[in-house]
Amino acid sequence: MEESHKNWYDKKYKLILLIPIIFLIICVAYLASFYSKNGDFIIKDSSLAGGTTITLQADADTQQLEDFLKQKFPDVYIRTIADISSGKHIAVIIDSSAGPDELKAELESFLGYPLTSENSNIEFSGSSLGQNFYRQLVIAVIISFLLMSIVIFFLFRTFIPSIAVIFAALADIVMTLAVVNFLGVRLSAAGIAAFLMLIGYSVDTDILLTTRVLKKREGSINQRIYSSLRTGAFMTSTGLLAVLPAFFLITGLPDSFRQIFLILGIGLFCDLINTWMTNASIIKWYTVAKRL
Amino acid sequence: MIKLSFRIWMLIIFLFLAALMISPTFEKGVLIRSIETDSVAFENGLRQGMKIKEINFVKIESLEQYSQEVSKFLEEENLSRIDVLTDQGEFIFLGDDLASLTVSEIPRTKVKTGLDLSGGARALVRAVNISLSEAEMQDLVSITSQRLNAFGLSDLNIRPVKDLEGNNYMLIEIAGATTEDIKEIVGKQGKFEAKVANQTVFEGGKNDISDVCRNDATCAAITDCSQISQEEFACNFQFTVYLREAAAQRHADVTRNISLDSSGQYLVEDLYLYIDDKEVDTLKIGASLRGQATTQISIQGSGTGTTQNDALDDARANMNKLQTILLTGSLPYEVEIVKLDAISPSLGKEFTKNIIWLALVVFVIISVVLFVKYRKIKITLAVILTMFSEAFITLGVAALLKWNLDASSIAGIIAGMGTGVNDQIIIIDESKSGDSAGIKEKIKRALFIIMGAFFTIVAAMLPLFWAGAGMLRGFAFTTIIGITIGILITRPAFADIIRKIETNS
Repeated sequence: MEESHKNWYDKKYKLILLIPIIFLIICVAYLASFYSKNGDFIIKDSSLAGGTTITLQADADTQQLEDFLKQKFPDVYIRTIADISSGKHIAVIIDSSAGPDELKAELESFLGYPLTSENSNIEFSGSSLGQNFYRQLVIAVIISFLLMSIVIFFLFRTFIPSIAVIFAALADIVMTLAVVNFLGVRLSAAGIAAFLMLIGYSVDTDILLTTRVLKKREGSINQRIYSSLRTGAFMTSTGLLAVLPAFFLITGLPDSFRQIFLILGIGLFCDLINTWMTNASIIKWYTVAKRL
Repeated sequence: MIKLSFRIWMLIIFLFLAALMISPTFEKGVLIRSIETDSVAFENGLRQGMKIKEINFVKIESLEQYSQEVSKFLEEENLSRIDVLTDQGEFIFLGDDLASLTVSEIPRTKVKTGLDLSGGARALVRAVNISLSEAEMQDLVSITSQRLNAFGLSDLNIRPVKDLEGNNYMLIEIAGATTEDIKEIVGKQGKFEAKVANQTVFEGGKNDISDVCRNDATCAAITDCSQISQEEFACNFQFTVYLREAAAQRHADVTRNISLDSSGQYLVEDLYLYIDDKEVDTLKIGASLRGQATTQISIQGSGTGTTQNDALDDARANMNKLQTILLTGSLPYEVEIVKLDAISPSLGKEFTKNIIWLALVVFVIISVVLFVKYRKIKITLAVILTMFSEAFITLGVAALLKWNLDASSIAGIIAGMGTGVNDQIIIIDESKSGDSAGIKEKIKRALFIIMGAFFTIVAAMLPLFWAGAGMLRGFAFTTIIGITIGILITRPAFADIIRKIETNS
């Protein structure tokens, strides 16, 4: 079994590398068309674009509410938060680029009662501040990525294996971003922070793989890759199992919270592809070329 | 008897210290969150941070009971004896109510929760049209906090923040406040001027004003209320302002040559009060004050509302605002609120409930998955124990540093726990791997991988401390604290535990 497994992998690893590369190309093309259509790489929520988010603690008819608010605020966007045990709506989230006072007044006229600090959250970001935040968070992602790359180079001190890890991390981010956009998620500041987390999170399996392949002395290269896969895939799946309930099961969490976990979930999934197809194939190719 | 290694002892000691830091309590009563410093209650010794146990010999165990007792004072017309028993002694005084106090339930632990979980208002403020240096921003912060304290809002967190691009902001967080409160206090510069015949006589702040009468019924009070139309009531207030010599002299100089009006009782020119260049009030100047260097001036104003109570509240609020501006002066810069959030305490409670649920679900899922994979109850327990220890010690550190745990901080703790589990899986798998290297060598290799992962996460999280004026630093903070504790305390201990389990079997 082990023997046939090895032979199969020896023949096909370059082919396997093609799969994530094709997927990556599709993602990049999608993001490019997304950019030309929307003028940006993400859909921003009001915390980044400027505007108001009102979280109303009530069970309102969202369709009616949306129709009503759309007349005055065409860009209004409405979601609901449901309680975990009863499935009842515990809150309605209303997001718009309008100022807090206008949106609040219009909402009050629909509801027929005033919004107070007891029944609602109101979050407002000025548009210049939102843009400021967005720009800085993008810079933060870039700095993070560079710092991570430096750490990787320092750890392994060999060019190709380090580049393989960094490339896998980059592919993670690009793929996750494409999927997030495809799902129509409106990114908040917290969501971008999740991308930072993803940078840190996704490389640990790559480090595991590279360390086992380069530093272990026992077993063939294939056996080392296979043993890393067993450990690493289990790590990532555990991570996924921990992250997904935050999105699907416990639906009454703060919105920023859910977004962080959704992005980590998508990112970990992409990480499975990029560690075990992209990184593993490159490092295998490297060891073959170097006759290790 | 199993001999515990040094590293395991370290873990136990840190768990103990964290428990000490968090110090859960089940104490009954209510906590004084803030108290106005010139109130009768304050003069008689009540202070912020005291825990009220009884009011007038009625046991206070919850906020409801507190409001019930306090509402009894409102029904009484006259001053009454108020007897407050606190954890720091008994205070007895004559007063009409306890309105100068704001209270909350006694927190169950010393871990502070941020606004998005406990409710309140938050504003990010910056100066209009100029970029402030750090020292200038510090000025703005100290004057603003003076103002907020004069309002009696002392349960607040106000600090300068800096972002990645070097912009300085002021961040204000007030528990239990509304956005209107914050807008009122910091949304405007609050430049106060009193003018006669277009000449400034005095301004708000300590250069011109030595004192402002507040919370003393003899010189600051609502004078009368009346119904002015079918649906409108009005209440008038009056309070005394004490001017410094120089301002008083200016008053004398300006008024000396102004003639009397036709009645002969007042000057023809009035005293105009402006806030931020907008006229808010006009006062007649009595004939006897002409050319006098008077240091006492009585300021009047009013409030309106659809009921008498509303008018009364409005008048009180207007009086408070005017007093605050007169006392503290204007902000040194024109400011604007660039971000303003209000979070409802009840939504915060709902969120907290859900987060606890989430933690439980994650614990259960991870335990099940680990047990299915390793089929060993000991290993599963060890991982769960380590995960729990990490989260617990992180909370201890947060309590020690008085860090406000907000939603993003908690997300950080959970993300850190995730990394922790990953690292433990690496340790288990390395130690179980079938190669001939000794257990020590294997664990060393595991630690190399873990250290690598640790440094990449720290590197990835660092920029978040500054990006976006640090609004998301909670996430970076708890993640880094969590994984650092993991590296230094829990994982070495875990490695020892696994070594023991492996060598025993």
